[in-house]
Amino acid sequence: MSEYVPDERTVKSEYILEVKNLKKYFPADRGLFGRVKHFVHAVDDVTFEIKHGESLGLVGESGCGKTTTGKVIVALEVPTDGEIILDGIGIEEYAVDGFKEYHRKVQMIFQDPYESLNPRMTVFDIIAEPLNIHGIGNLKEREEKVAELLQEVGLTPPSSFMWRYPHELSGGQRQRVAIARALVLNPTFVVADEPTSMLDVSVRTGVMELMMKLREIHNMSYLYITHDLAVARYMCERIAVMYLGKIVELAETEELLKNPIHPYTKALLTAVPVPDPEYKKGEPDIMGSVSKPVDPPPRCRFYDRCPIRTERCAKEDHPPLKEVAPDHFVSCYEVSE
Amino acid sequence: MPVLSVRDLVMHYKTKMGYVKAVDGISFDLNAGESLGIVGESGCGKTSVSMTILRLLPDNAEFRGGHVYFNDGSGEVDLVTLPEDEMRKYRWKGISMIFQAAMNSLNPVYRVGDQIVEAILNHYPDTTIDEARKKVAELFELVGLDPKRMDQYPHQYSGGMKQRAVIALALSCDPKVIIADEPTTALDVIVQDKILKEMKKIQKKLNMAMIYISHDIAVIAEVSDKIAVMYAGKFVELADSITIFKRPRHPYTFGLMSSFPSITGEKKKLFTIPGEPPNLLNPPKGCRFAPRCFNATEKCRREDPPFLEIEPDHYLACWNPVKREGEEK
Repeated sequence: MSEYVPDERTVKSEYILEVKNLKKYFPADRGLFGRVKHFVHAVDDVTFEIKHGESLGLVGESGCGKTTTGKVIVALEVPTDGEIILDGIGIEEYAVDGFKEYHRKVQMIFQDPYESLNPRMTVFDIIAEPLNIHGIGNLKEREEKVAELLQEVGLTPPSSFMWRYPHELSGGQRQRVAIARALVLNPTFVVADEPTSMLDVSVRTGVMELMMKLREIHNMSYLYITHDLAVARYMCERIAVMYLGKIVELAETEELLKNPIHPYTKALLTAVPVPDPEYKKGEPDIMGSVSKPVDPPPRCRFYDRCPIRTERCAKEDHPPLKEVAPDHFVSCYEVSE
Repeated sequence: MPVLSVRDLVMHYKTKMGYVKAVDGISFDLNAGESLGIVGESGCGKTSVSMTILRLLPDNAEFRGGHVYFNDGSGEVDLVTLPEDEMRKYRWKGISMIFQAAMNSLNPVYRVGDQIVEAILNHYPDTTIDEARKKVAELFELVGLDPKRMDQYPHQYSGGMKQRAVIALALSCDPKVIIADEPTTALDVIVQDKILKEMKKIQKKLNMAMIYISHDIAVIAEVSDKIAVMYAGKFVELADSITIFKRPRHPYTFGLMSSFPSITGEKKKLFTIPGEPPNLLNPPKGCRFAPRCFNATEKCRREDPPFLEIEPDHYLACWNPVKREGEEK
């Protein structure tokens, strides 16, 4: 079967993915004559890199912009501004063939395996569809490839799953099919958007382990989007915490969990339920509730809820992400200076 | 004297393909001021247990037997024997419920306060509207809502506030028992943390009995005095929460506890329970967990283990439990 051959444009970079000053604004409402007057700043000046073979966790509460970030990276949304560089090549260069080549390299796994699979297609059709679109292989080769992938994702024997429909599968099995489909073009980078949050506890660990194993075998990198810090701990080498469109803290996983610096990260970690009845939880130090980033005022996004805010935080723009300890980045005037 | 005593509860759903054995012999006691967590995966029947207790079942549900003894201090009543109009008096007033996705259970076209007033007037017809409104204002204070918001509509509330309003609604008729089915699943962690702490406080203050139902063992760990682990329509283990977490005996309990990631402590390798939960149309013979169990024997695949008290207040349904250190078996 014709394996994917990297073309001459491929420049090796230290990073598989670089995101620079990424912005995605959505119109919040339209005024007279359809002029947009207000914008939701879903992703607002986000910068990070992911190394080859690394898994970066993007963690935050609902509405913080983590899924939008993922969708912009896989070119499902057009960024308002900013750069996305895949393995040294800017995403705009992939526009010539309608991102066909880009999608060979970058894939996404969605949260809900009940909605992300076409109910009228068999497992074979679902997994082989990308091969069809890209014109790779003949029927026999595609069958072989699909069988191989089913084996890899633990749906064995492949012959008993290949011709089934999604409704005949459990949630965990469906998510395995979705993973197989994402892998069929041998991507180098995968955005996984809460791939296990809809799954049952006893099934979830299996899918988490599968994703770690596949990352190793296929030498892939992940952007792992989740609201669950405990899951991120197991899936990611580094974690970025997002709040209202901004990354407020970024560090290695254990460092972030043990020495959180940003007041939002601290509050989040205090609030996470712990599966231990003897564990004494503290009180998260945070005020009010989360708002929507519609035309946010030019100040720290966390200002309204921050326990350590000062006058400066209200006057100046959102603080930049600064390195406060080796490889530990925080965006907060009060702790970074 | 327990306020709620459930014995051998059995309820099956009739479907075209046969009977779904969703509740298959559930027994437990619940005392005033005590909280019981029922933990299990989706489809294990945990919600069906609460619906059977409250007799809020869909048309295809078949009640097959068992007893629900309720005692609010004025004598024991078996709720399953009551005619429907009698039963209605016990819902909300005796046992009330916070439903899954509760935030959507408020009527969007009525003011939030009015919905709670209506519930009070329904169950206490002698109350005047002013009295009821005063009571609602107190309830709002209790659950951490500004009483000024009584005359607002649900869409003017945030998710967390709606959840608080639903808790106020559940408390409106002074129930002895509240069943909370995934009360915080749709909420973000910081809001969830606040609501759970609030519920615990209210429970202690009013000396109510609570049943928390959730798939999330971390949430259950936080709020429950004792925990029932449910698998495929049955309780497999029931004990105080520390025993369940620190010294589980059922292999399924052990698996659940060891497969749950945590942000605290050392990063341990997570345990994977092989396979998937069974279809309750045709549950496996013998112990329903046997096909996925690392301890299963021939006997487990043949005979259904009884749910027995193996030490005071520790119930277990297993032929071959996980050994404890320093114990033979």
